[in-house]
Amino acid sequence: MVGGFNAYFSNIFEVASTVFEGMAVTFSHFVRKPTTIQYPDRMAIRVQDTLPYRYRGILEVDLEICTGCLACERACPIDCIVIDAKKDKSTKKMMLNRFDIDIAKCMYCGLCSEPCPTGSIHHTPEFEGADFSLESMMRRFVKQPVAAYKPKKVEDDPEVAPILERGMRYLDEFADPAGKTGTDS
Amino acid sequence: MLQQFLDSLIADGTLGGMPRDVAYLIGMLGAGALVVFGFVLNISGVTTFVERRVWARIQSRIGPNRVGPQGILQWLADGIKLLMKEEAIPFAADSALFKLAPFVVTVGFITAFVAVPFSSALVIADLNLGILYITSMTSLVVVGIMIAGWASNNKWSLIGGIRAAAQIVSYEIPAALSIFTVILITGTLSMQGIIQQQGWGPWDWFIFHSPFTFVGFFITFVSLLAEGNRTPFDLPEAESELVAGFVTEYSGARYLFFFLVEWGNLYVISAILVTLFLGGWQVPMIPGLAESPFWLNLTQAVTFIVKSYAGVITMMWIRATLPRVRVDQLMSTCWKYLLPIAFVNFMGTALWVLIWPEGFRFAELALTLLGFSMVVYFFYRVVFHLRRSGAELTFSPLS
Amino acid sequence: MTEFSMFPVVFYLMAAITVGSAFGVAFTNNIFYSAIALMFTLLGAAGLYVMLAADFVAVVQVFVYVGGILVLTLFAINLTSRIGDVSVSNRSLGRFPSFLVLGLIGYSMVRAIRTAAWNVVEVGDPVPTIEAIGDAFLTQYILPFELASLVLLAALVGAVVLSRKELKEVRG
Repeated sequence: MVGGFNAYFSNIFEVASTVFEGMAVTFSHFVRKPTTIQYPDRMAIRVQDTLPYRYRGILEVDLEICTGCLACERACPIDCIVIDAKKDKSTKKMMLNRFDIDIAKCMYCGLCSEPCPTGSIHHTPEFEGADFSLESMMRRFVKQPVAAYKPKKVEDDPEVAPILERGMRYLDEFADPAGKTGTDS
Repeated sequence: MLQQFLDSLIADGTLGGMPRDVAYLIGMLGAGALVVFGFVLNISGVTTFVERRVWARIQSRIGPNRVGPQGILQWLADGIKLLMKEEAIPFAADSALFKLAPFVVTVGFITAFVAVPFSSALVIADLNLGILYITSMTSLVVVGIMIAGWASNNKWSLIGGIRAAAQIVSYEIPAALSIFTVILITGTLSMQGIIQQQGWGPWDWFIFHSPFTFVGFFITFVSLLAEGNRTPFDLPEAESELVAGFVTEYSGARYLFFFLVEWGNLYVISAILVTLFLGGWQVPMIPGLAESPFWLNLTQAVTFIVKSYAGVITMMWIRATLPRVRVDQLMSTCWKYLLPIAFVNFMGTALWVLIWPEGFRFAELALTLLGFSMVVYFFYRVVFHLRRSGAELTFSPLS
Repeated sequence: MTEFSMFPVVFYLMAAITVGSAFGVAFTNNIFYSAIALMFTLLGAAGLYVMLAADFVAVVQVFVYVGGILVLTLFAINLTSRIGDVSVSNRSLGRFPSFLVLGLIGYSMVRAIRTAAWNVVEVGDPVPTIEAIGDAFLTQYILPFELASLVLLAALVGAVVLSRKELKEVRG
């Protein structure tokens, strides 16, 4: 009987003290900074800028250094790259008439950027490609027919040089598995 | 005060010779409509928004903050969305009763506001039995819930409705007993009368009047929480257990009614607690205030609303802290713990009032000190938890 | 012409609610509808109490009758399985004898109401009744008050005993 009596009061005391402690804990949480990250418009840094260098995002082509070798088209396992490159009879130059990448089909495997000799086709950190229309999934990189690039020993064109440099660095650090830097994968 | 106002209007002839009774009727309906549409519905809506923000901050996240600046229009958006939803009535449900239930519940809730005193002059009707009237009108909500449970023709709604009714009816007893404990001290049931016997400072409030009323405050708080179907007693609408309890089949505007009543009921509960135990609208008598009735009433109303809203936020805080109790634990809490303690309180207060009719000042001050030290200890524990977790603080409620 | 008073309007409204709902209680086939009509009857009765300036009785009527007794009635209806299947008509007497008895009782009731010596009091301002009732309960009518509480206690204990006994019989 006395045991039951004690249990009764200890129950009440336990309830009161645990609720008190619990409310102290929740109040301490109330005054803390919330851990929510308000993606995408209230971030401190753009997410695209926090991604690693080798992130395989949406593909992009730098037409200034594309040689028209069609290595990427052959390498793509899904055939999402469609290139139209013809030698122009009159000017004896390789003309690129069409360079379409269907990013809806693309599986971002990176097999196309590996064999590129100049690094013109490369992955960007961009990943927000969602849109309301199916047509925007087809990225057409050729607005009007341009001449393909002819690689030279030393590139001296000031506009093309930085692009070529970026492309070659990309190839070194990413597309080439052994890598000039010596790191594997 | 309303009567004087109306009498003056009749005397001026602005009401064009309308019979006196009709003028009173329209005046009362107008005042009621003003309170309901201007205050009650808005406070219910804003409470949903405040609850979501408070709850979220306790859970280390930000609540809704996109609709309108800081999300303050979220409740309007939710309300409009619910109003525009299709009102589906199940085929086998009793459609007349299905449609009746939200109205019974809303009537039970809104009629309670007639006696809630916002300031010394702002009360629709200072009924002689104010607190008894409020308690009895909120018991109409039970009937509405049972009708909803039956009319949905759904096992879970039925069980939810019965559980809700059992819970509310059981907890009415310790709630009423603890309320009447305070009535023993005041000798009047009128809400204004109860407030006028308290003072502006915590040592004059009834919560610190005697150890029995101190315990009685917590008993009333717990019982009224259970009456309002709030966690930890929200089994009737347990989202994870009974689908949605008695509101399973409700959608659209009818759902809106039920939830308006639930959030608004928080405010009524808080108002009852503030009136009985926490001094109501009493403000210190600053010399400038007594002259101008406008400023006096405004200060008093603001004090009352701030205090009640603090109670509402405490209830949200408890909701974020405690898990739900099982139905048998709920019943045993009421009948085995709250009821005997309420009885002991009642007798203790009766003895106290007999021995010290004017109140025992030393006890009042000692209890105020006890309450104050509890608050200090509470913040000490909060600081302990903050130090232990080493988290970053922010006091701004903004995201 | 005397000034228009809302009193008769409200009285007839309350009376209509009360009597109409009472008809509903008696004549509906669906038992749940009867219970809800009972709720309206009790609320109408509370309104009539208010008109008689019996404020305490009105509020307690809502509290106890609607919030307690009606809720328990609804409990019973909800928890009884297949309650809609019960046919609620008693065929023992038939219609003509029942109308005859009804007519006789009705006539005698109306006759009694009309010829009784009612104590007609002037309608004055309503005074709060609760203090008077409380005083009366604890001074003049204390014996009936205590006896009534004893009866309630006996009913409570009896209910507990009855339900316990049934459980024991089921088990054993």
